[in-house]
Amino acid sequence: MMKRYDLIVIGAGPAGLSAAIQAAKNGVKVAVFDENKSPGGQLFKQIHKFFGSKEHKAKVRGFRIGQELLKEAEQTGVMVHLNAIVMGLYNNKEIMVNENDQTNHYKADSIIIATGARENMIPFEGWTLPGVMGAGAAQTMMNLHGVKPGSKVLMVGSGNVGLVVSYQLLQAGVEVVAIIDAAPRVGGYGVHASKVTRTGVPLYLSHTIVKAEGTETVSGAVIAQVNSSFQKIEGTEKHLDVDTICIAVGLSPMSKLLKMAGCKMEEAAGDIPGVDENNQTSLEGVFIAGDVAKIEEASSAMITGRISGISAGRYLGYIDDEVAGNDISKLKNSLAQLHKGMFSPENKGRIDIEETDEGYKTSESLLKKGYIDDNEILSFPGVPKKKVVGIHPVIECVQNIPCNPCQDACKNGCIKVGEIITKLPAVDPDMNCIGCGLCVALCPGQAIFLVDDDYSDDYATVTLPYEFLPYPKAGTKGIALSREGKRVCEAEVLYCRTNTAMDHTALLTIKVPKEMSMKARFFTAKEAL
Amino acid sequence: MRIDKHPVLEEFEKGEVVEFTFDGKNMFGYEGEPIVAALQASGVKVHRHTTKTGEPRGVFCAIGRCTDCVMVVNGKPNVRTCVTPLEKGMQIETQYGIGTKE
Repeated sequence: MMKRYDLIVIGAGPAGLSAAIQAAKNGVKVAVFDENKSPGGQLFKQIHKFFGSKEHKAKVRGFRIGQELLKEAEQTGVMVHLNAIVMGLYNNKEIMVNENDQTNHYKADSIIIATGARENMIPFEGWTLPGVMGAGAAQTMMNLHGVKPGSKVLMVGSGNVGLVVSYQLLQAGVEVVAIIDAAPRVGGYGVHASKVTRTGVPLYLSHTIVKAEGTETVSGAVIAQVNSSFQKIEGTEKHLDVDTICIAVGLSPMSKLLKMAGCKMEEAAGDIPGVDENNQTSLEGVFIAGDVAKIEEASSAMITGRISGISAGRYLGYIDDEVAGNDISKLKNSLAQLHKGMFSPENKGRIDIEETDEGYKTSESLLKKGYIDDNEILSFPGVPKKKVVGIHPVIECVQNIPCNPCQDACKNGCIKVGEIITKLPAVDPDMNCIGCGLCVALCPGQAIFLVDDDYSDDYATVTLPYEFLPYPKAGTKGIALSREGKRVCEAEVLYCRTNTAMDHTALLTIKVPKEMSMKARFFTAKEAL
Repeated sequence: MRIDKHPVLEEFEKGEVVEFTFDGKNMFGYEGEPIVAALQASGVKVHRHTTKTGEPRGVFCAIGRCTDCVMVVNGKPNVRTCVTPLEKGMQIETQYGIGTKE
C-alpha cells in the first residue's frame, strides 16, 4: 500500500532539514528522504566557523549547526527515511524510492526538493587517474572519515570551496603544494585566501592545469599560465610534485527529479528550476530549497529551507496566510543580509569593484595575490593609523562580506560594524582593549590579530588565531611569516591559549622585533621555508 | 594516512578494528567506516580498471554519486566503496570492467 504524508522533503541536508522542521512546527506531517546513511548532507564536513550574524549562527562551526538541526528535527517529530534513494518524482506528487533494493512508492500533498548540488569537473589529460578528485571528496575523506586524501595536494580553483578545503587539508596535516585558478583574481573571500597564503601556500592565478602525470595513480601535475582568453601560453608549463589533485571549480544544482516531473527550468536545457517568490516551482505544491535552485552557502540554504517549509505549510492549509507572509518576510530580510556586499549575487563575477561600500579603495593585492600588501594595510578602518599604547586589535577584514561576530565578541566596544553586517569592522582609536583575544578567536575569517608594541624596549607581541596541531609550547623558537607567507624574522612563542568559547581556535602569542609587529602574521617552528 | 589528532574535530569516532581482504591480502580497517577509508588508509588508491581500455580509477566524489570507486565486494560487482560500510571479513577485489580479473 502506498504511504501518504502531508509533505515529503527530498534531501536531508541543511535546506531539507530546515524546511521539514519549519513545516513540522506548524503541525504538518513531514517525511524526509535521503540516500545517505546519516542525515545532515554536506554540513558535517564543514568544520570552519560560519559567517553572518548571530541569527545566521555566525562563528559556529558548520558541523555543530548540523548537530543542532538534527536535534531540532527530532524534537519537532520530523521523520527521516535514510538509505532511501528517490528515483522518481511524478507530477501527481508521488515519489518512487529505492530502499534496501526494494521499490516503494510514497505520496504527499506537497513536495519540497532539497537535493543540493554536485561538484563541477574540468577534463584535462589524466583527469581520470586515481588521485584526481573533487575538493568535496577530499573534504569528506578527511573531515568525516579521518583519512588524508593524499600527502601533497594541488588545488584547482580559488573560490571559497578551494580555499576552505585547502586550509582544512593543512589542518589535517596534508601539504598543499599550490592553489591555481584560471581567473586573474582570487574567486573566494579575501580572508579565506589570506589564511592559506600566510602559511606559505603559493597561489598561481591565471594558471590552468595541463595534465595529471602518472600511469596508475597521480605522480605529478603540470600547470601553465593562461592569457586573458584563458588560452594556455606555450612555454609556461611548470611541473608540481603532487600525489593528489583536487578540483574546486564550482557546483551545479542536482535538479533531475524536477525535470522528470516536468518542472519549468530557467533555461530550457539548464539545471536551474524557475521558482516564484515563495520558492514554488512551476508545479503547484512543489517547492525547492537550498542549492538545487541556487548555489550558495549553507547559511542561505537553511533560510530558503525555512521559507519553503512555511510556503508548503501555507499551501497545505496549516499556516494562516498572514502569519506565513510575515514569517517569510522576516526570513527574507535575514537572507537579504547575506546577499549584500562584494560577493553578493548581483556582484557575482564583477571585477570592476574599486571601492568598498564605505569608499575605501579595495585591496588589489588581496584579489591578485591572495594577501593584503604592506602598503595597503593601513588604509582600512580596522587597522589603527596612529600609534596605540598597549595591546590592541588589528582587523585585516577589508572586503564587504556579511559577517559581524567581532562586534559582539568585544565586550569593551572596541570594534564596530554597525547595523549593516557587510560593513568593514572599524577599530575605535581610543579603545580600551584588555587583550582577551575573543575577537581573534571568534572571527570566522581569522582576520584579527592583537598587537602590543609596548611589550618591551625591543620587542612587540603579536597574537594570532591558530588552528593547527601540535600547539607550539611557550619558549618555542621559530620563524614569523608575513601575510604573503614569507619569512620575516625570528619569533618566540610566549603562550598559546585556548578555552571552550574559542572552540578550537587557539590564540598564539609570539614575540617579534618591534618593527615586525605589523608584518608578522603566522608562526612556524620549522626552520626552512 | 589516518589523521591521529585533529585540531578541530579532535578524534574520529570509529568502530572496532576488523580484518578484511583486498585482492586476497589481509588488511585492517574500522568496522562501519566506508570501504574507501580503510583502503586509502592502507595506501590502496586504484579501485578498478575500465572495461575497454583498462584505465585505473579511484575515489572521485566520495559521496556515492560518480560510481568511479566501485569494486567487487563479497563477489558482488559495482559496489560503491565510498558509501558502503566495511564489515568484518569482507572480501574486496579490484574490479576489471564489470567483474573480477579472469
